[in-house]
Amino acid sequence: MQTQRVSVKFTGASGEGINTIGVLLLRALKKHGLRVFGYREYPSLIKGGVASYQVDFSSKELNSSSRYCNILLAFTSRSLNEYLKDVKENGIIVYDQKDINLTEEQRLYIEKRNISSVFLDSESIALETGGIKIMSNVVMLGFLWRILGLKVETLIEVVLKHFKNKNVDLKAEENCIRAGYTSATFRPEYAKKINTPQKEILSNNNGYVMTGNNAIALGAISAGVRAYYAYPMTPATSIFEYMGENAKETGILVKQAENEITAVQMAMGSMYMGTRALVATSGGGFDLMSETISCAGMSETPLVVILSQRGGASTGLPTWTGASDLNLALKAGHGEFPRAVIATSDAQTAYTLIQKALNIAETYQLPVILLMEKQISESVFNFKKMPRVEKIERGLVEKAEDITQRYQITDTGISPRWIPSKEKKPYLANSDEHSENGSSIEDSEGTIAMANKRLRKLETLAKDLPEPTLYGDRNPDLVFVGWGSVKNAVLDAISSFTKINEIDKNNKINKNNGKVGYLHYEYIHPLKTKILEQLIEQNKRLVLVENNQTGQLGNYIKENIGYEFNEKLLKYDGRPFFVEDILDFLKN
Amino acid sequence: MSVKITDYNSPNTPTWCPGCGNYAIHASLKKTLSELNISPSELFMSFDIGCNGNGADMINTYAFKGLHGRSIPLAVGAHLANRRMTTIADIGDGGCFHEGLDHLVHAIRSNYNITILIHNNANFALTTGQATVSTPKRKPMYGLPEGIPERNLDVPEFILSLDPSFYARAYSGNLIQMGEIFKSAIENKGCSVVEILQLCPSYNKEFTPQWANENIKEIKEVENYNADSLENARDIVVNNSPLYTGIIYRNKNLPTFYDSLDSRKNSLTELVDEVKVHDIKKLLKYFE
Repeated sequence: MQTQRVSVKFTGASGEGINTIGVLLLRALKKHGLRVFGYREYPSLIKGGVASYQVDFSSKELNSSSRYCNILLAFTSRSLNEYLKDVKENGIIVYDQKDINLTEEQRLYIEKRNISSVFLDSESIALETGGIKIMSNVVMLGFLWRILGLKVETLIEVVLKHFKNKNVDLKAEENCIRAGYTSATFRPEYAKKINTPQKEILSNNNGYVMTGNNAIALGAISAGVRAYYAYPMTPATSIFEYMGENAKETGILVKQAENEITAVQMAMGSMYMGTRALVATSGGGFDLMSETISCAGMSETPLVVILSQRGGASTGLPTWTGASDLNLALKAGHGEFPRAVIATSDAQTAYTLIQKALNIAETYQLPVILLMEKQISESVFNFKKMPRVEKIERGLVEKAEDITQRYQITDTGISPRWIPSKEKKPYLANSDEHSENGSSIEDSEGTIAMANKRLRKLETLAKDLPEPTLYGDRNPDLVFVGWGSVKNAVLDAISSFTKINEIDKNNKINKNNGKVGYLHYEYIHPLKTKILEQLIEQNKRLVLVENNQTGQLGNYIKENIGYEFNEKLLKYDGRPFFVEDILDFLKN
Repeated sequence: MSVKITDYNSPNTPTWCPGCGNYAIHASLKKTLSELNISPSELFMSFDIGCNGNGADMINTYAFKGLHGRSIPLAVGAHLANRRMTTIADIGDGGCFHEGLDHLVHAIRSNYNITILIHNNANFALTTGQATVSTPKRKPMYGLPEGIPERNLDVPEFILSLDPSFYARAYSGNLIQMGEIFKSAIENKGCSVVEILQLCPSYNKEFTPQWANENIKEIKEVENYNADSLENARDIVVNNSPLYTGIIYRNKNLPTFYDSLDSRKNSLTELVDEVKVHDIKKLLKYFE
């Protein structure tokens, strides 16, 4: 049987290039013509600890990881111990440290599962070839490439391109890759164990590889964001890195603020003045921003905040994933005011939704919270084409006769907004309750009129937003309901499950699970429930899937329409949903 | 067309107490702005929450009454987006030295080209008289019948320790000098900090015009005072008897934040002029 997906995991001490080598493999596989997905795990420290990078690849699109790997390449004894049990039956372990000694128990485990254990003296090979110690990494990469049975030139091209502008001996790098590739340690039986998938098409170019943070930065740049206000917090920080490293090219003003309160206030000030500004943070930083979310809601100032979630409450699991800040996004900020909450799920949606978020914030004059997760921010996604560029919509009035009162009461709730300039009428943006011209008020009638006007914007927005998307079978028996990165594992599982279903003749699979669908929420607030209510009416088996402990979307749906999910698949250990998490659920 | 002081008048009636220093501060500021020929549509003011913040309703201009302690970063964001607008952050001693002290420090350090007006009436007045860092020690205040147990913050020394581009002290009872200070502060290219000693007849009854007349002197009375010297400035503020008002210190050699940005070096437009679809083809090459 043809292997659908192959997984390769590098593991070693964090801070020693595990991420780089993983990305190099991923890029080389993509260059070869395969579809790839890259997932990193690392501890919240700079040196030491155990880090890993797993590359999953296939001839078909994939956006999630397997919990297990076919090949484990371990650079330290500790990391080998940590990940040994993730190696699949008939898999391969390659390690390059002489001092790695397997315990008796580990030896038995390996033997029983027919796992090949290979010692490659990559450091000696690197030194003998004229390289330096660190080049043992690419020796390993060359050796792995041989196991995969791919053309060495593709790997060399990718590695040399990566090191081109760095202070590296390129000839030595190339020689080390070749030395690993041709090493006498290789045995044909290793290659036989791994069925490297066929290329997807007869093309050597499989689109783009980028993280969700890269994609959201690119979307923001494309959409005319001109100021980026930063304060570091994992996993949002690499948006700042990308914006900063490309500031000379883009002309974007990048400012590292003294804290998150400052960053978001600056963004609100810039948005008031009429440019597009952006901030991104994680849960703790977002807490500090919440007074400003409320202020943007009251003063009707457009604002977009990216909230990239990580595991746990408080400091939690700083470098691990989760989706437990939906409640925060929905409820943060004092008082009642309209907002929009949107959730990305991968790089492509991050690219598109940041553009939509900016349009919504400006058109409806409200704060928009755009949710990400570490799994989206830092995983590497591979896709064929960039989604189309969204048209910029700002909802500004230009003509003198339209420039009336800044908070004019209207049927849609949307008042005229104009960019402050010398030629136009000045106005007061007010965080106090205010009259149509912005002046502070405290009277009952005026307060009610203005509060109603503001909330009417939410009704107007809800009419303009799409329903959630139903993926998978058109007439499903079972429908998963979720948001965020769970989409990736669920859709990958549905696509491989459907195949398993077709070939399974032993009737092992519950027939009720035959046809599987997935209802994905991108626009979460204001909530759209038409499709969901249809599925409820049709008595479909609905399963809530969320990367949190309490099923926050499920609770929000219950709050809105009273429906309670009977079945919930929840995961809150800092890890994303792996494709097996969904498959195991379907098989049981 | 020249700008008139009345152009800045708002339709709203002031809500400040009789004798409040804010009347004079507003009158003086409006007069200065009209003399500088800055129209209400060429000015942005951010306001704090407090008695000074209630001034947001009292001036016709592009204004944003935001959150307590946050008027400085709000003003910075607006300023960076469009430097054609003169930008003033208006804040009280409570907001500035308590809720948002970090913002003052980093604004001075970053040297944005804005003016910060600190209304120092030595208390949180709008919440009916709580102590601030400027309230005299042991003076009974709201919730603290024995007064504050801790030390004061020496505002001038603190600000001078940050080597600001411009630091001046004004007194709300001296309109003419206050106007001259506002003019210099707005014209200064860099972060101009103006601390206004503000009369508060409701909660700072000891600070009367009579007391001020006896204890406050204009810096021009100091012979050969050189405001370019940080040493001179420190000397003059160390001894608070008399209290000197005027331009205490200026550092003309500091580049502004914006002028120090490589990414904005050759741009002829402001950020507000640049919102359009930007081509990312070149950036995408890396991800192919």
